[in-house]
Amino acid sequence: MSPKIGVVTFPGSLDDQDAVRAIRLCGGEPVSLWHGSDDLDGVDAVILPGGFSYGDYLRCGAISRFAPVMAEVIKSADAGMPVLGICNGFQILCEAHLLPGALIRNDVRVFVCKDQDLQVESADTTWTSDFTRGQMITLVLKNGEGGYVADEDTLRRLEDEGRVIFRYVNGNPNGSFHDIAGICNERGNVVGLMPHPEHNVDRLTGPTQDGRAFFSSVFDFLTAKV
Amino acid sequence: MARVVVDVMPKPEILDPQGKAVTGALARLGFAGMSVRQGKRFELEVEGEVTEERLAEVRRAAETLLANTVIETFDVRVEPAPASAAEDNDAEDNDAEDNDGADDNAAEESTADENEAESAEEAELTAQAG
Repeated sequence: MSPKIGVVTFPGSLDDQDAVRAIRLCGGEPVSLWHGSDDLDGVDAVILPGGFSYGDYLRCGAISRFAPVMAEVIKSADAGMPVLGICNGFQILCEAHLLPGALIRNDVRVFVCKDQDLQVESADTTWTSDFTRGQMITLVLKNGEGGYVADEDTLRRLEDEGRVIFRYVNGNPNGSFHDIAGICNERGNVVGLMPHPEHNVDRLTGPTQDGRAFFSSVFDFLTAKV
Repeated sequence: MARVVVDVMPKPEILDPQGKAVTGALARLGFAGMSVRQGKRFELEVEGEVTEERLAEVRRAAETLLANTVIETFDVRVEPAPASAAEDNDAEDNDAEDNDGADDNAAEESTADENEAESAEEAELTAQAG
């Protein structure tokens, strides 16, 4: 049986259907989850998709973080369930304190939309085990508030513990500290990144198929666990 | 009802791209020597007396939702009550003269009902959304 991956739709989510499609294309069973639900419908993993949930009111992810479904997501993440936050999903994970730090407006002060080169810094997470450390990949990046910031202690801890998992290369597009594009929690089951793996799963719509490894990684993990 | 103001500012060490953009625009307009950092101001109309406990609750609300203390600081203060607006009692004076006044009141009442219905609907939507 293929793994069931939930994709949460918040009001203002944009890439939820792309995530659902990517899961299906990569061999998983996507399950659409509603932000107002307090049940995860028995999924094995959860993706918080990109977009502008709650219109980015207050701060990106600040209101979504308190959506009923998030109580379950936080509980399950703490219990080890794989959770991936993409773009707005990454912002939500930071607001929910499942990941440290915060995302602020791009230092270039414009919305950035480009094919972004990245270096894989860690394959030791649930979502990146099919990559190799040091691998160069390209994923679509599109955001207005993707500047990753955290205090010095947090940055040091992330670096020392190998929890910076993707770094921007060939130019920092948004002023992120330490060129950070993605990080994970201590356990490696919660991953957040600004670029969009779900837009990079087929030749027709993406510059690469580098996003597929996120899905194959989590499928491997879930299959091995069963 | 008392007004409690929560000011939220980006921490000094955090880049403030919006403030930077405003600073640049001011300079271009000839307002020299002004450096801007942009924050947010929240006005909370708080029911009942503003006690220390109530203020502590507002601070908790600020910390929980209004500010992200990873990147922002906040300040909570009670704002003095504004002078109350003079009440408009003219409509009552007109009632004795003719029936129009009564009709007006009826019209007003139905509008009020509509508003009530609307806000009930809104509340329901909010509940669904939230």
